[in-house]
Amino acid sequence: MHLSRRRLLGTTSALAGAAALSSCGFTGSDDDSDGDGGTASGTLTFTTWGTESELAGFRSAIESFQKSSGATVKLNAVPYEQMFTNIDAQIQAGNPPDVFRVPYYTFGAYAGAGQLLDLSSHLESGFADRFTPQAWAAVQNSGSPFGVPHHTDTSVILYNQDLLSSAGIDAVPTTLDEAWTWQEFQQVAQQLRQALPDDTYPFAYNWQGNGVTRWLSWLFEADGRFLSDDLATAAIDSDAGRAAVEFTQGFFPAGLVPPNSSVKSTTYAADLWYGQTVAMTFGGAFLLPDTDATVDFEWGATFSPRDVRAGGDFGGNALVATKGADPELAAAFFAHVTDAEQMRDFCAGASLLPTRADLVEDGIDFDVRPDLSPVFVGQASTVQAQDSGQVASPSMSKIIAVLQDQLEAAFVGGQDVETTIAGLSDGIQQAVA
Amino acid sequence: MRSSARVEARAAYGFVGPSVVLLGLFVFVPLAWALLISLQRTDGFGSGTFVGLDNYTRLLGDDRFWRSAGNTVLFTALVTPLSMLGGLGAALLLDSALPARPVFRSLLILPMAVSGVATALIGLLFFDENTGVLDSVLSSLHLPEASWQSGSVPAFASVVLVTLWWRVGFNMLIYLTALQGVDPLLHESAMLDGASWWQRLRHVTVPALRPATFFLLVVNVIFSFQVFDVVFVLTGGGPRDATSVLVTYAYDQGFAQRDQGYGAALGMVLLVVTLAFTGVQWRLGRGRDADQ
Repeated sequence: MHLSRRRLLGTTSALAGAAALSSCGFTGSDDDSDGDGGTASGTLTFTTWGTESELAGFRSAIESFQKSSGATVKLNAVPYEQMFTNIDAQIQAGNPPDVFRVPYYTFGAYAGAGQLLDLSSHLESGFADRFTPQAWAAVQNSGSPFGVPHHTDTSVILYNQDLLSSAGIDAVPTTLDEAWTWQEFQQVAQQLRQALPDDTYPFAYNWQGNGVTRWLSWLFEADGRFLSDDLATAAIDSDAGRAAVEFTQGFFPAGLVPPNSSVKSTTYAADLWYGQTVAMTFGGAFLLPDTDATVDFEWGATFSPRDVRAGGDFGGNALVATKGADPELAAAFFAHVTDAEQMRDFCAGASLLPTRADLVEDGIDFDVRPDLSPVFVGQASTVQAQDSGQVASPSMSKIIAVLQDQLEAAFVGGQDVETTIAGLSDGIQQAVA
Repeated sequence: MRSSARVEARAAYGFVGPSVVLLGLFVFVPLAWALLISLQRTDGFGSGTFVGLDNYTRLLGDDRFWRSAGNTVLFTALVTPLSMLGGLGAALLLDSALPARPVFRSLLILPMAVSGVATALIGLLFFDENTGVLDSVLSSLHLPEASWQSGSVPAFASVVLVTLWWRVGFNMLIYLTALQGVDPLLHESAMLDGASWWQRLRHVTVPALRPATFFLLVVNVIFSFQVFDVVFVLTGGGPRDATSVLVTYAYDQGFAQRDQGYGAALGMVLLVVTLAFTGVQWRLGRGRDADQ
């Protein structure tokens, strides 16, 4: 997914970077869902990236929406790597799609810059009640909804049963209450370290690239936060912040994770897991289909470790509308795709987690490895609204850069905890200023 | 005569016109636009705030900029001469009576047909620290494995080596063409005068290749200053900015952090440095040509 950047690369290297910074390429439309309703009452353009399963889910939802509403939805499916350079360029050119899909950690950049449609007065009464509080918090900006939480995902531990058994670890937690504490997890990792060959590591953490936001799970588990309630002040300078940095920094010198699995590495945790370089990896449910199809060892999933409390990253994506969209049509589309049946089908097919409270309550069965669904749904229940609300900060793109720089320095640069906390705090404060 | 001159002039403008229009549209207009953006604080949405030279002043105190600039210069200083020497060596071999010359030529030119991203992906197969070919070979020979992805120096070396693999073929091709244009009588005369192979290379071949060398020098330096795809895919600029170069840093600022004004300022600095180097080389090259 992270390798087909050709269009952007070509543009950027064309003339010493300078020209590229002012010229962005557009992707040709891949209109594969032209409406069949001859009595269309309106048209929405919808841009998204997605796996085959996700795109199949979107196509199915669009088809049923078109049948029920008479409207037309034109789906433009693009590679993830082009998605936001294209969206940015289209917004700058005044020609954005009506609706697009956006990760929660990127949502704030668009909402905060005034590019999205405020849905407050267009969503039906009580619309917010269908979602979990943490999901609804993730699409708020200045107290108003600027999108709908379409699905989420959170990281659990995927483990290689053979490698764990070879280290004498025959049982893993099977309920959320039994999840390993940080200390227990560390003991398991050290046990693996002693049993495994030098070039095989106990685990990898999925904090590479923009996944650095997943490091925040450790902070949340320590009951910390990185922004104040009003999202206007850095709040990471705390005992919880120090505990999270110190604990995760310790993974590297102890050889618990591969040295090339730090936050700025180009080697992703999932690849290390597929290649059996690690016995465990932290990953989302979206890995289930690929893992099921790729690996030939016995594997399972268990809950992420807990400290003061259990926690998790609020991954996944929202659907948002831009200001030029027909507000009523966009709201109707959003209501349709977050309908219980649509969301269940989408999430089951794509191995993603629902954001509807009723679906979380009832549980969901993934099409692939349905036996692991409760682990992911259970882990998602540990995410709190205050956690997801912070990730929706308009300054998140700058905060991500601060996290990458400081954690990289701490993990592989030997930067001490106090300096790291000071750097994180200063950087986050500057980002939100 | 006048009428014929006018026709010729019109024909000339007709031939040059489309190129000028395209250059203006896709190079000069974006350049002017980039300059304008570099004087603003903007995330790309709406109109930015004019901040004068603030973005350029900020560069002076930005450690990551200096690190990236230093890496770019070091990369250029290593890759340019090495790729030219490698290209010259390969061209000399392939210009001689080497068996299976077409095969070797094809092998060397093949990387030119591959995009930078694909080249870097192939490089990953070799330099991956966990599953890469090179560390497997080192391990099987009971030699210490290199930290191609987590060590600063090995990571930088991996970028240089992949770039060389990609670029030597291009240099070879230009040199080979130039070698085939050298008058064989010059070599015959030198041989009759008793010149050794090395003396003929130094005093006949290398001077005869001067125009090709000048072209390759300028092009290699520009390519090196512009390096992006190989670094982006192979190392992502890491570990700890050890392989960060100006274009990857500009991309990071302009697109990942949406600080497009600062990203554009970085691009403009890169442009000025590239133009300055090219200008100096141009003047030196012209001077040498005039001496001859």
